[in-house]
Amino acid sequence: MRSIFLVFFTLLSTTLYSQENATLSGYLTDGTSGESIIGAKVYIPSIKKGAVTNTYGFYSLSVPSGKYTVEFRATGLPTEVKEIDLSKDVRLDIEMGANLQNIEEVVVKGTAEDNTKSTKIGQIELDIDEIKTLPAFMGEVDVVKTIQLLPGVSSAAEGGQGFYVRGGGPDQNLVLLDEAVVYNAAHLFGFFSVFNADAVKSVNLIKGGMPANFGGRMSSVLEVNMNEGNNKSFHVKGGIGAISSRITVEGPIKKDKGSFVVSARRTYLDVIMKAAIPDDSPFAGSSYFFYDLNLKMNYKLGDKDKIFLSGYYGKDEFTFGNQEDDFQVTMPWGNGIAALRWNHLFSNKLFMNVTGTFTDYLFSFGSQQDEFQFELKSGIRDFGGKVDFTYFPNNRHKIKWGLDYINHTFTPTSVSASQEDVVFDTGLAQQLFSHETAAYVLDEFDVNENIRVNAGLRYSTFAHVGPFTRYIKGDISTPDSTIQYSKGDILKFYQGLEPRVSLRWLLPDKSSIKAGYSYNYQYVHLTSLSAVSLPTDIWFPTTDIAQPQKGWQGSIGYFRNFAKNKYETSVELYYKGMNNLIEYKEGALPTDNVNDNTDNLLTFGRGWSYGAEFFVKRVFGKVTGWVGYTWSKTERQFDNLNNGEVFPAKYDRRHDLSVVVSYKPTKRWVFSSSFIYATGNTLTLPSSWYVQNQDLLFHYGQRNSTRMAPYHRLDISATWYSKAYKEKVDPVTGETIQVKKRFKSNWAFSIYNVYNRANPYFLYVDNDGDFLQGDFEIKVKQVTLFPIIPSVTWNFEL
Amino acid sequence: MKNTITYLVLFVGVLIGTSSCTKEVTIDIPGYEEMLVIDGRIETDQPPFVLLSTSKEVYAPTDLNSFLNGFISGATITVSDGTTTVVLDEICSDNLPPGSEPTVAALLGVPESELANYHICGYTTFNTAIWGQVGKTYDLTVEYDGQTYTASTTIVQPTYLNSVFWKPDEGYTDRGYSWANLTDQAGQFDAYKWEVKRIATDTAGNPVDNNFTPTFSPVIDDEFFNGLTFDFYYENPFAQGPEVPDDELFYFMYGDTVVIKFSKMDKGVYEYMEKKYTQLATAGNPFATPTNIPSNIEGGALGVWAGYSPTFDTLICVP
Repeated sequence: MRSIFLVFFTLLSTTLYSQENATLSGYLTDGTSGESIIGAKVYIPSIKKGAVTNTYGFYSLSVPSGKYTVEFRATGLPTEVKEIDLSKDVRLDIEMGANLQNIEEVVVKGTAEDNTKSTKIGQIELDIDEIKTLPAFMGEVDVVKTIQLLPGVSSAAEGGQGFYVRGGGPDQNLVLLDEAVVYNAAHLFGFFSVFNADAVKSVNLIKGGMPANFGGRMSSVLEVNMNEGNNKSFHVKGGIGAISSRITVEGPIKKDKGSFVVSARRTYLDVIMKAAIPDDSPFAGSSYFFYDLNLKMNYKLGDKDKIFLSGYYGKDEFTFGNQEDDFQVTMPWGNGIAALRWNHLFSNKLFMNVTGTFTDYLFSFGSQQDEFQFELKSGIRDFGGKVDFTYFPNNRHKIKWGLDYINHTFTPTSVSASQEDVVFDTGLAQQLFSHETAAYVLDEFDVNENIRVNAGLRYSTFAHVGPFTRYIKGDISTPDSTIQYSKGDILKFYQGLEPRVSLRWLLPDKSSIKAGYSYNYQYVHLTSLSAVSLPTDIWFPTTDIAQPQKGWQGSIGYFRNFAKNKYETSVELYYKGMNNLIEYKEGALPTDNVNDNTDNLLTFGRGWSYGAEFFVKRVFGKVTGWVGYTWSKTERQFDNLNNGEVFPAKYDRRHDLSVVVSYKPTKRWVFSSSFIYATGNTLTLPSSWYVQNQDLLFHYGQRNSTRMAPYHRLDISATWYSKAYKEKVDPVTGETIQVKKRFKSNWAFSIYNVYNRANPYFLYVDNDGDFLQGDFEIKVKQVTLFPIIPSVTWNFEL
Repeated sequence: MKNTITYLVLFVGVLIGTSSCTKEVTIDIPGYEEMLVIDGRIETDQPPFVLLSTSKEVYAPTDLNSFLNGFISGATITVSDGTTTVVLDEICSDNLPPGSEPTVAALLGVPESELANYHICGYTTFNTAIWGQVGKTYDLTVEYDGQTYTASTTIVQPTYLNSVFWKPDEGYTDRGYSWANLTDQAGQFDAYKWEVKRIATDTAGNPVDNNFTPTFSPVIDDEFFNGLTFDFYYENPFAQGPEVPDDELFYFMYGDTVVIKFSKMDKGVYEYMEKKYTQLATAGNPFATPTNIPSNIEGGALGVWAGYSPTFDTLICVP
């Protein structure tokens, strides 16, 4: 490991030269809304040097002193070209497209050559406006489902939010909303995303070559940034859909200084259910709904300081009752997330962001039957703080370093139960406390004109601390015992170095080869007892027993654009190795968590995945879209599962194909379609049956040895936009001119599963008839969730 | 309490079920290997009784006759309590020692009158020296086809119910569940099983039940109520099926008379029974874990060697 340090610092020291340089820096914002522009490019063609704006719209470019023509390019906005005298440092904040009359004429993708030129490997940014025109399940625009259409990413199951990146588990994705961790990104058992598309500004997925500033998860980073709000004028937008409605209000707190945006969304399934279930039905009173709220505020404190406050609160609530049986279940769960950020410019070369985050996830299950009451709670509460610096010493280097700290409190299971005045012994509310820290440094630098390297090192630690009660389970003859740890006791301390490197080598024909290597530690785990993801899946930290997950990934890819960047193509190969993966021991039940530690029920193993991903994207034109194909293999090996033999992961998919096409024949219509084909998931079914005491019982064979039928589905959509402009006669000139309409609307029509494919959701073995009557049969049955589902949504903006 | 978790699993299944459709498919399920199934039990004051069979491939024909006639004979089975060791006799339903028919009929769950129609072979003994006694541990050895299988079970001290009673359910006067009051022994592992048998005769004058029927989720351990005294209830396992009106489902009706068999078992037997009844309750539910039932038999056989110490109470369903 020492050699990695040496290489890193040698590279740094040899290239940190300084000559007569001047720095051009500033913020790029959208001229119509004041929103900062992420990923915009500042480029000087004469010396072929450029910089890209960060998440906050800041850029810094140091070049030899002189006069330059500088281009400022951002997707969807006209390129600004400025003559700039850089005989000294210049601070230039630009409101791009401020004087734009007709935004629809601009179709230029500002960051056209990013695909081949950046060091980003396995990284995809999604355009939120593009996502909104794709077919949406029940009309709910969903960023996570769009991500599932990318190569290397697969969905967990029909309609599911869980996603698997390059053979990693759903817990190995770091999902960040404005830099705060989201533990459960799903509503309604995973059918809907917690991200309200109206509140989302940008979506970025890193599936390989993770830079050192990210950590804590092994497979991917899904970075979702919320809109900041319009700091020029007030606007309202919203939509009315088949199952939910949403509204967003945004406007300036003080013009050009600060803004706010509030988005709210609520489903009305409960209203529909109330109407559908008669009052005299035993199930009257059963209902389900979810809602979520997004809030964001920002304020410029001066040229050098800006603060942001982001908040999310969402909740699902299930109520199920059987009046005849006097039985009632309530099941609420939800996330609360807050992030407070402060940007500070120490100089035109040194940018700092300080973030404080709070994340709270709570799942609760309560039931009542007659006098018997039962409640189960599970949750996580994180307080985090981090500071990130970005230093732009010259045009060859971009250096980042920072510190990260999270205080975790996990409550895997807390149960209480009573019957009238008798309180049952359900053990202690298990809580686990831990401290996770990390420090990192990375440098993105040009070795020469063709080779750019992003090299970084992350050092992470994790401490499992008291108070804690460790259960020592007795066998048949010895009783259980416990060991008590007090506050401040360190049960176990883990630490590790995580080297990360990615490299881009630009070839003479403008194509590039990229390679990446990353090593990651993951200190939190999601434990799941069922084949399908549920809110009852429990997040669990690394403890003295449960070791951190460790993984490495190597990838290499060839990237090439065609037809003046109209087509982006890539081929990527990857291999990923994972250690200390966790699963429940065979036969564990949810109630086993009571009066025991969850980690006593776990078993540990390893996994690996390898594959090839092919991607072709048409970036602009009347027809846009992509084709992604992945060939992969993902396997697991646990000493205590499946007799120690290797078995396929449940989402091991040999083939995964996505085709997404959008066609825009006129300014007012967009037609889209998406088609997916994937090898069926694996599952474990009983391979034999036997009889014990007159009951027919099943015995399961090898783990995940049965494969379901392939999954394929076609969705289509059409979006019709109202006129964006109205014609008006200029009273002075008498000419007919076009004036922007304040009120705009669109109708989005979607059909899910056009050809009504009965895709398998799960299979089960069922037995019909009576053994003694001689009409007994064992059958394998397939459950299909969603047939063809049309939907329509009306969206408006004023 | 454990029912509640089962309810959650069932409930989510129902939710998914309402918006889904189901069809039969034929799919390859690899991994079948034939295994010996040992279904053995010993209860207080009862002889040990063992049935041997084999597991069947999931798509194998489920023909009743071939199954009932497919019990394995020719094995050597011994039971030992540490001092007395007895080799069990193989008895077949069509050739039973006189007087043993009612016992064997109850053990097999086959009407006494039909015993002779089948060739069901089991293993038991009429040597009362090895019949079940409270506090003793019984070791089972099965030798068959060159393999030896062993298991051990204890008939633990029984716990008597303080009382059993029936009360009408809220909103009714004529139907309700079977209730009991229990004082669990503090400081030790206890596991219980609840079974019922109706005391009634059919039109021909024969008893409606030959043997006891377990209720829904019939086994529970004292993890949550160690040392407590409390009331609890169980539903009526007979009050189900298409012929039972919806508002009578799972109720005992006023005037019903049943015998409650409340048995205790050791931890190994409980672990088998807990997983067995979970599997029966959640069969076909995607949210349930595919779980094999952990046998207490060494040597690679399926099934269980179960010792029980039952107590019996008669419940007459009047307030």
